[in-house]
Amino acid sequence: MAISKKEQRIVAIVWIIGIIVVWELFAFLLKNVIHDPMAAMKLPYPHTVAMTFLENWKTLLEAGLVTFSRAAIGFTLGAIIGILLAVIMSLSKTMEKIAFPYLIISQMIPVLGLAPIIFNIVRDMNVSRIVIAAYITFFPVAVNMLSGLKSVEQDQKDLLFSIAANKFKIYQKLMFPFAMSYLFTGLKIAAPMAVTASILVDMLGSQGGIGVKILYSLYSNSTNIFWASVFTSAFMGIISFYIVIFAERLCLPWQNAAPKKDGVRA
Amino acid sequence: MNTPEIQIKNVGMVYQVNNGEEIVALTDINLDIQEGEFISLLGPSGCGKTTLLRIIADLLQPTSGSVSIRGQSPKEIRMQHKYGIVFQSPVLYDWRTVRRNVCMPMEIMGIPKKERTARITRMLELVGLRDFGNKYPFELSGGMQQRVGIARALALDPEFLLMDEPFSALDEFTREKLNEDLLSIWSKTKKTVIFVTHNIPESVFLSDRVVVLSPHPGRISAIVDIDLPRPRQNSIRETSEFYEHVTKIRRSFEGV
Repeated sequence: MAISKKEQRIVAIVWIIGIIVVWELFAFLLKNVIHDPMAAMKLPYPHTVAMTFLENWKTLLEAGLVTFSRAAIGFTLGAIIGILLAVIMSLSKTMEKIAFPYLIISQMIPVLGLAPIIFNIVRDMNVSRIVIAAYITFFPVAVNMLSGLKSVEQDQKDLLFSIAANKFKIYQKLMFPFAMSYLFTGLKIAAPMAVTASILVDMLGSQGGIGVKILYSLYSNSTNIFWASVFTSAFMGIISFYIVIFAERLCLPWQNAAPKKDGVRA
Repeated sequence: MNTPEIQIKNVGMVYQVNNGEEIVALTDINLDIQEGEFISLLGPSGCGKTTLLRIIADLLQPTSGSVSIRGQSPKEIRMQHKYGIVFQSPVLYDWRTVRRNVCMPMEIMGIPKKERTARITRMLELVGLRDFGNKYPFELSGGMQQRVGIARALALDPEFLLMDEPFSALDEFTREKLNEDLLSIWSKTKKTVIFVTHNIPESVFLSDRVVVLSPHPGRISAIVDIDLPRPRQNSIRETSEFYEHVTKIRRSFEGV
């Protein structure tokens, strides 16, 4: 059943209000009925968190920007590397066979372990953030882009072959435009992950960044700042996701107009 | 008679299957096609009609024999953009509007923009899609999509047109309409057409000659001249001459 845009919005608003009300209720129960001494840590009142956010928005925003901007650079680099890898693997079956196991292995290393290693090598917080964000990004981008490049139908390639198009033209006119929607699937997966990874790197002992805020407020028992920082982080992840969605709308205008087949369009 | 435009000599095609077995898709195909002729390759699935078309298009290499087109190899013909091809599915690019789909071969060729625009307009006019240039493929019906495919195949003004069951996915009404329109396009452009189909009335309606192929192994079992008068309209399908040709071809399959 189709739901109109307006109805969707109403549903979203009802959900948000509902969650806040339930949350307030549980915070009240925890503090005033159960008398949990750790109530403020476990579940503070949402309105106090909101107040803290408003009082500290400038420092939170600054810290968030430090992390977010590095994540964005890393994300961009990782996306470029991922696209290049996908193109190389699509050009040669041998390259795909050689490279793919390494790609898989690379994802077996936990970022939590890799981040300090990278930091010890480069000895620079910003570079570490960028490297880790890129490292997180390249894999989903490469895998999705490759699957897009490999999904082009033989007839579509034959058509270009029949008018004597060279490899470059085939990629330019057919393979890349075709793989775009696959690429954006990879980017959508990667963007929030890149942000999360950058926050993680913050926690290794950076000077600025939202991860530092989370860590210090946790140590210093500033519960409200802690919660406000966590929400800022979550917000950054969501923003990154919607930036990619927005870019997709700009780059693939035909996708918006096209009716969706079973919710997915190749 | 003039020297034929396309000469197919002793062409054979053998596929190696994984277990080492060989499948003979085509054997001993000999066929001469005259300039400006409308030829149908007709036969059931597995008779090798599409394989033969793809050999002419240089999309497949025969395992024996040769194809000569105006004294040149299929590859040379392909490199010079001398044929246009239409596939069973329209093979349109989703991300391009109708105009830009028709434009695509000309972009590859590097034809100047001004000429491209003029040609696209002419092609869309020819296939009856003048008002649909700015639509995306998904906004068109199956028949209209196939018209775009034909416009695109003709965009480089090729000398002949290869069509691989272009209307087989369409309903009967649309198919008959497009058959008629294809003949009108053909009479305007005077190109040699090789048309693959498994529909007997369609082959009779369109062709000067119907080449009947039979399977296992794929070979030519009959060549039937269709001497129905031109220009042909769909009303010709109701005449007894049309019916006789259809019957004759149908009978040629019974002997197989």
